[in-house]
Amino acid sequence: MAQLFSPAADTWMRLFLVGSLSLMAGGTVGIIGFARSAYMTSTDVRPQQPVPFSHRHHAGELGIDCRYCHSNVETGPQAGLPPTETCMTCHSQIWTNASMLEPVRQSLARHRPIQWTRVAKLPDYVYFRHDIHIVKGVGCATCHGRIDQMALTYRAKPFTMEFCLDCHRDPAPKLRQPEHITDMAWTPPTDARAKGDAIPAHEKIRFGQLTHCTVCHR
Amino acid sequence: MTHNGHQQRSQLIPSEDGRRQWSGIEELSDDPAFQAFVDAEYPAAQTFSPTARREFLKLMGASFALAGLAGCEKSPFVAALPYVDQPGEATIGIPRRYATAVVLDGYAQPVIATTYSGRPTKLDGNPDHPVTGGRSDVFMQSAVLGLYDPDRAQTPTHRGEPVSWKDVVAAIGVLREGWSKDGGEGLRLLVGPITSPTLLRQLDALLKQFPKARVHLHAPAQTSPQRSLTKAAYGKPLDLHDVLEQCDVIVSLDDDILGPGLDQVRNARGWAASRHRFADRPGNRLFMAESVPSATGAMAGSRLIADASRMPVLAEALANALGVPGAAAGEITERERGWIRRAADACGKAHGKSLIVAGPVGEQAAAIWAARINEALGNAGQTLKFTDPITGPAGAGTLAELVSDINAGTVHSLVVIDCNAAYSTPGELKAAEALQRVRTSLHLGSQRDETGALCEWQLPLAHALESWSDARAVDGTATIIQPLIAPFYDVRTTHQILAMLLGEIDPTSDAAVRETWQATFGDAFSTRWSQALHDGFVQGAAAFVEASPISATVTAPPEDGAVDIVFRLDPTVWDGQFANVGWLQELPKPLTTVTWSNVVAIAPDLAKRISVANGDHVEVRIGDRSVTGPAWIMPGQAGNTVALYLGYGRTRAGRVGDGLGYDAYRVRPADRPWLAKGSLRKVDGTETLAVTQLHHRMEGFDFVREVNPGEVVKQPASEHASFYPQWASSENAWGMVIDLDACIGCNACVAACTAENNVPIVGAEQVKVGREMHWLRIARYYDGSIEEPRSHFQPVPCMHCEDAPCEMGCPVHATTHSPEGLNQMVYNRCIGTRTCSSYCPYKVRRFNFFDYRTPADSPTQAAHNPDVTVRSRGVMEKCTYCVQRIEAAHIAADKESRPLRGGEVVTACQQACPTKAIVFGDIKDPNSEVARLKRDGRHYVLLEELGTRPRTTYLARWRDDGSGSGQG
Repeated sequence: MAQLFSPAADTWMRLFLVGSLSLMAGGTVGIIGFARSAYMTSTDVRPQQPVPFSHRHHAGELGIDCRYCHSNVETGPQAGLPPTETCMTCHSQIWTNASMLEPVRQSLARHRPIQWTRVAKLPDYVYFRHDIHIVKGVGCATCHGRIDQMALTYRAKPFTMEFCLDCHRDPAPKLRQPEHITDMAWTPPTDARAKGDAIPAHEKIRFGQLTHCTVCHR
Repeated sequence: MTHNGHQQRSQLIPSEDGRRQWSGIEELSDDPAFQAFVDAEYPAAQTFSPTARREFLKLMGASFALAGLAGCEKSPFVAALPYVDQPGEATIGIPRRYATAVVLDGYAQPVIATTYSGRPTKLDGNPDHPVTGGRSDVFMQSAVLGLYDPDRAQTPTHRGEPVSWKDVVAAIGVLREGWSKDGGEGLRLLVGPITSPTLLRQLDALLKQFPKARVHLHAPAQTSPQRSLTKAAYGKPLDLHDVLEQCDVIVSLDDDILGPGLDQVRNARGWAASRHRFADRPGNRLFMAESVPSATGAMAGSRLIADASRMPVLAEALANALGVPGAAAGEITERERGWIRRAADACGKAHGKSLIVAGPVGEQAAAIWAARINEALGNAGQTLKFTDPITGPAGAGTLAELVSDINAGTVHSLVVIDCNAAYSTPGELKAAEALQRVRTSLHLGSQRDETGALCEWQLPLAHALESWSDARAVDGTATIIQPLIAPFYDVRTTHQILAMLLGEIDPTSDAAVRETWQATFGDAFSTRWSQALHDGFVQGAAAFVEASPISATVTAPPEDGAVDIVFRLDPTVWDGQFANVGWLQELPKPLTTVTWSNVVAIAPDLAKRISVANGDHVEVRIGDRSVTGPAWIMPGQAGNTVALYLGYGRTRAGRVGDGLGYDAYRVRPADRPWLAKGSLRKVDGTETLAVTQLHHRMEGFDFVREVNPGEVVKQPASEHASFYPQWASSENAWGMVIDLDACIGCNACVAACTAENNVPIVGAEQVKVGREMHWLRIARYYDGSIEEPRSHFQPVPCMHCEDAPCEMGCPVHATTHSPEGLNQMVYNRCIGTRTCSSYCPYKVRRFNFFDYRTPADSPTQAAHNPDVTVRSRGVMEKCTYCVQRIEAAHIAADKESRPLRGGEVVTACQQACPTKAIVFGDIKDPNSEVARLKRDGRHYVLLEELGTRPRTTYLARWRDDGSGSGQG
């Protein structure tokens, strides 16, 4: 009886197996990589805004405290975008005729909100609260990056579940004292773990309970 | 596909003492179709052919392959709109709560309303209010949806054409000129019951301006207080107030005191308070004689089934047994005699601590005897208090008089204020035809309903949550109603329109209300006004008055051989005013579990006699009028009584409520609104009712347990061994105990859960195939014979098992265990295999077969609770123990770096329950109420034999039906 398989059949078979395995592995790595890519997480995208507002100028160069505009951040779930009134506290005095501020003046005159494009957005099924994070010592820059250096605001960190869980699993080294909350230049000290451990001990952070699902998903 | 295993499994297993509990009459027959129904977890899936199933698996295979990719959705950049001028007191994302009231049949239902960004989303009872103590009923819970009803009248119309309010004011000016000339001759006002001091004041002012005008009252739902009955019994119109918390014995003659209605919360609270005074025995005894099964009958230890027309006879016989002068023993059956002897014995020992109540079907005779018995037993002034009528207007004419005046041609202007006379009127009055005969008619109503469509002008009213107004609760305590939101349609309040009728051009919304209270508060107006708005009520109930029964001879209505036709208000849509509220339509009605329709309830014997099955059409004829509706065989109904439910058959309710059920008003007699004589016959046609009683069935036994007074529930010998890992528990361990002796099956918890957790409404067709989404079902079980069963209610939310089968079943870990003992459901991880649901022995999981979300452009979007995810198609959901409230409490505590306080977390169902049957809390705290109840002698675990160790557990009912230790 003639041979059913040629001498090369084994080789083809091995090649096929190796090929399909590496395709599967590569595909998996590729998909995961794609999901985490800057493209998918929209980091480094500077969306078009009605007014080219510069955090670098206001927060960095002028040194206005974050909470002057985002006044809700210590009391509510949302930090809150400043109402037009807040912009006009200064801009009714300075740059009153600047053309780039026209939408702000129009907003006040017509009582229509300014249509900003949201940069830091979480999915609808995530219930994030700013106030509790501020109280427990998570600084603004931890999630929002060096806002004080952004001419146009962009998403500095990928708001993936992994990003949140990294901290929820082990918050201690990333926590800071209340006076440093809005400090953009703050970096964890060399003894961050020891210092960080002191904060949760004092603030009664519920270690081990911050990773269960309903903490964020309800 | 049925094989032996299935056959075995679906046999009902009797409990240890030989009783067997059943949910529907189908179970009592060995109907093979029913067996197939029980075997299929989702009945609709039965219709899949085997090839369709293969097709389905192929598609599912593809879904699995793509499951991972679904998570890679790129989140879009969206607009963010800040305020222009942010209100100082608002913190974005933090709910604000206001005390106000919604109105049912003229009475205030005091609420604390929750608003997010100015949108009211949830109503709860006002905990400081003397009547409700913070508890709710289904109507109050669902009132918020009426605000967002897309079918509301949105602009004034003249003969159906939209007009402006300027046109309305101009037209009213012309009308007023005419009325001034003849003093209002020919001007009539038709109103519902009114408690609002402002509206009563405005009506008085109008009658002063036009002295010849007359007011007529249309009150289709006014069951309690029954003015004509109190007038017959006491010689003057009175409101009766039952003080159930002081009762040792309650005897009810077909009066559903715990059933739906204005007094439900007050009565249920009072009854539960006295019922649970002692830990080892029931604190009161309830005797109920009834024709149609009701919540009160289900809770009664001793229940007598008697036709509606027997009530006067029974009342007199009871009076006779208690030695009331003038009462004859009458001709009563042996069974009736036994019940009367037991009730009389119990009452005889409880002087001043008993109460006899008589329902409207007993008419004047029963009311008079009840009044005399209460007087003889010294109950009057103790357990039964009297006030002058709380609703007005005093001296109003009836609707029948109005119709005859219209037909006589003496009415040329008619103002209909917030009542739907064209629909909810006895058919024989032909009110709709009369309305069209009036030259000028104005309809003030929130909808362009049956009446609005017939009137020349339809003037849209603002919802209570967008109005300044006032109203009194059932005890007479007034609430000033404040708006939570500016009206989002071109509507006005009743007071504004009345002010227009009084000659004002553009009245502000609060002027009339302020004027009323200025007179009451006097110099302290500004402080007392603010205080009243803050508290949600003005201290001071109506003063009690003395009353004693008059001594006239009692004439019982003559009995004849015809069938007793009893009229009942619908337990969810009431007199029809809530027909367009989807939350209420989908609530399974207590005892029948029918949704989206009304039924003609008949006794099993009668059904057998005319060979009618559930859903078969029957025709009810009263005099020369008849109506046809689907039959419902009601276990435990009196043999010669047929019950018709009002509130359905509407034609202009809106998209939700139109064309459902039959209209019982068509056959309702004007002179005997609650009990009529008629006939019943089977006609062609049958329909499938959307009934939930056989859905979500558990397999096992002893679902509802009962225990004799003085005894405890038998506890299992030892803990089951388990393969499941032991969970490490954190500081708090949540648990729930549901007291089945307190549950009256009122559905308030289900309505509250629907509102709190954005539970979708699926519609009648989906309910028929078992896809209702309620996270909490009130299972209703019967035990005993079909003719005389005992009924039980069992609320079943997620059990939050410590050894949860669903958690083992999920292939993607979408349902997991929290360190606080919650069985968590993660929607964004769920891929919809429904394995968890098939593993769940309690059948509490619900699957989104379709995208049940409200359309993006619907105003009902704003009714959603923003703290709870709105679920999409293809995900499983279930009770979360209101985890959003738990987490909110945690965050509040964590912000202050303190542990949670006891009672800081209250679930929506617990908050609503009028009898405190649902208790939730931290079982690790030995002093918590829930931990105390877990040590109670009546404590037991549902399906304990499965070893799931649920966190939700139950307290057994007291068995005081006479079969135990000398009770009953």
